Amino acid sequence: MHQHFELVRRLRVWQNIMLGREPRKGMLVDVDGARSRVAELAERNGLAIDPDALVEELPIGVQQRVELLRELEREPSVLLLDEPTAALAPAEIATLFATVVQLAKRGTAILVVTHKLQEVIDYTTRVSVMRHGKIVARYLTTETSTDEIARAMVGGELPQVAQREATGTQPCLSVRDLSAGVDTTTVSDLSFEVSAGEIVGIAGVEGNGQTALADAIAGMIPYTGAIELDGSADALKHRENIGIVPQDRHHEGLVLNWSIVENAILGRQNLPGIRKGALTNWAAARADAEAIIERFDVRAASADVAVRTLSGGNQQKLLVGRALLGDPRFVLAYQPTRGIDVGAAALVQSRLIEARNRGSAILLISFELDEILALADRVLVMFRGKITGSFSGADIDRGKIGRLMAGLT
Amino acid sequence: MSTGVSLMLTLLFLTLIKSVPIVYAALGGVISERAGVVNIGLEGMMTAGAFSAVVFTNLTGSPIIGLIAGLFFGAVLGFVLGFAATFFKVDQIVAGVGINLVALGGAAYGLVLIFNQPGASPQVTQLAPEQLLPQITVAETAMIVLGLLCAFGLSWFIYRTPWGLRIQACGENPRAVTDAGLNPLRLRLYAVVASGALAGLGGAFLSICEVNLYSDGMTAGRGFIALAAVIFGRWTPWGATGAAVFFGFFEALQYVLQGRISWLPSDAMQALPYLAALFAIAGLVGRVRAPAADGVPY
Repeated sequence: MHQHFELVRRLRVWQNIMLGREPRKGMLVDVDGARSRVAELAERNGLAIDPDALVEELPIGVQQRVELLRELEREPSVLLLDEPTAALAPAEIATLFATVVQLAKRGTAILVVTHKLQEVIDYTTRVSVMRHGKIVARYLTTETSTDEIARAMVGGELPQVAQREATGTQPCLSVRDLSAGVDTTTVSDLSFEVSAGEIVGIAGVEGNGQTALADAIAGMIPYTGAIELDGSADALKHRENIGIVPQDRHHEGLVLNWSIVENAILGRQNLPGIRKGALTNWAAARADAEAIIERFDVRAASADVAVRTLSGGNQQKLLVGRALLGDPRFVLAYQPTRGIDVGAAALVQSRLIEARNRGSAILLISFELDEILALADRVLVMFRGKITGSFSGADIDRGKIGRLMAGLT
Repeated sequence: MSTGVSLMLTLLFLTLIKSVPIVYAALGGVISERAGVVNIGLEGMMTAGAFSAVVFTNLTGSPIIGLIAGLFFGAVLGFVLGFAATFFKVDQIVAGVGINLVALGGAAYGLVLIFNQPGASPQVTQLAPEQLLPQITVAETAMIVLGLLCAFGLSWFIYRTPWGLRIQACGENPRAVTDAGLNPLRLRLYAVVASGALAGLGGAFLSICEVNLYSDGMTAGRGFIALAAVIFGRWTPWGATGAAVFFGFFEALQYVLQGRISWLPSDAMQALPYLAALFAIAGLVGRVRAPAADGVPY
């Protein structure tokens, strides 16, 4: 089972699950037979599903169920799960692993690839740690801890995440009555503020309107309502005021065939200092690129190599480094540590906290509750395009937030 | 019969006849694009079908064999495009344009090589030219019926058979097909070969059913109109068939209006079907959704 689902979104659930092994009636697909086989399979594994639903209309967690059922249909003796919980709410994660553990008990060998250490401790029997394409450590789960695994992953002590310092509470970004979005991702009547020197975390399961919120703030989609920076809607259009870490580094953040230098000024190319009349000041661009490489420990042969040749973690460090360059007033960080190793993630998180300490207002959107809890001063929970809860300081309660994320109260 | 009624009848029959080649090519476009390959080469495959039909009719004296040859050589070009677009991962548009150029140039050269005359072939035996109705021959009627059968069959194939399901999956997400243990490249290749065969049949209709010779450029952009019909018909067999008839109507209208509207130059009138296609597609921008992996090499 893949981290990114390999489903045919415009086909139905039973069509996806039975693809390639369709029961036949003469030359035609035996639709009733296929449906009942899917229903029976779902029943047997305790995964509720409507065989006739269109995959693209299902929530992410249910799509994952389809993906899992598709693999189970083949009655595998080995099941390989690649980051199976990347898009799931805490309750869905528990359901998924309950099924998986059942399978293991019935004799299926299961291999889970994950970077979530708590899942490893909670559900596995044995652990192998991979670093740079080699297995560097093996443990029995009962004899190890998340700390020990994390140390093996980075090959030494974890970099300490920066400490947060007291900062002011001057409102910086304010969002009022925001409604925006297209078909699958919408938000309605959102209102919140982010102060200078504050990290506000948006907790929520993927697909609850986070992308619409991020795109509206980034100016990529039309919206109604008001989004203001220091009381002015225009200030948001000035590139030096904002830093954006987009969700998808490959499609929105970087041009993979360009060099680090070129990517370092992507989106900033018209800033004074980078632009010189009609030309680009490449010396300044190179200086920026080298500053990012230095501060964010981007491992590359030189600033001139194509970004494609960097590892995912180094690409992400470049992306966050570019967003934080010049201490912008406001930073939008959408999944800033998506799919990178713990070492790189700790560095990115530290730099975000440092930017906060220097007075940037940061809106952190993440699907990983742990990340939100580690970084945010204030947590807003998003469910179906609305803010359903707000927590700050000592009131931040993991259990309550988790329930709100799943739509429970 | 009043002239008004007879004019309407002429328009009706002409619409049917002019629609036929576009319908075949559009059905070819549907199967190819549902599998994820944009077939810009439809025009060239029609040309190949039209030309080879005349050559083989001339060679054997049998227009039926000519028709089969048209289908076959359309499929051959489909194989070339399909192979390039799948196993060689060539850009589909570039390969398709290449097919168009090769077919057009090849046919022009073939005229000289085989018939020793440029521009047009000599006349050959027309397929069943007996009049069935005042305006329409036996062969044309048969090809209309066959076209409808093809639309019916393709619809049945895509939506109800296992292979159709797999073809759909190929056009939406070929990785899901790989995951299911099948080879999406091979499925795409088959789809493009079928696409070429249909387009070749449409081309053969032009040269040996409607008339009895091949002349340079006789496909006149019908392959591209068929591509528009695929989009206008939202990638469904019946939708594309309807859209092809819609465009065929404008072509027929253009013939009927020739010489009746004196102030409009005939060149402008000939542009009618193309304008219809242009406006039809422009009106759909942003409102139709192609198969998700359409045109994306795998």
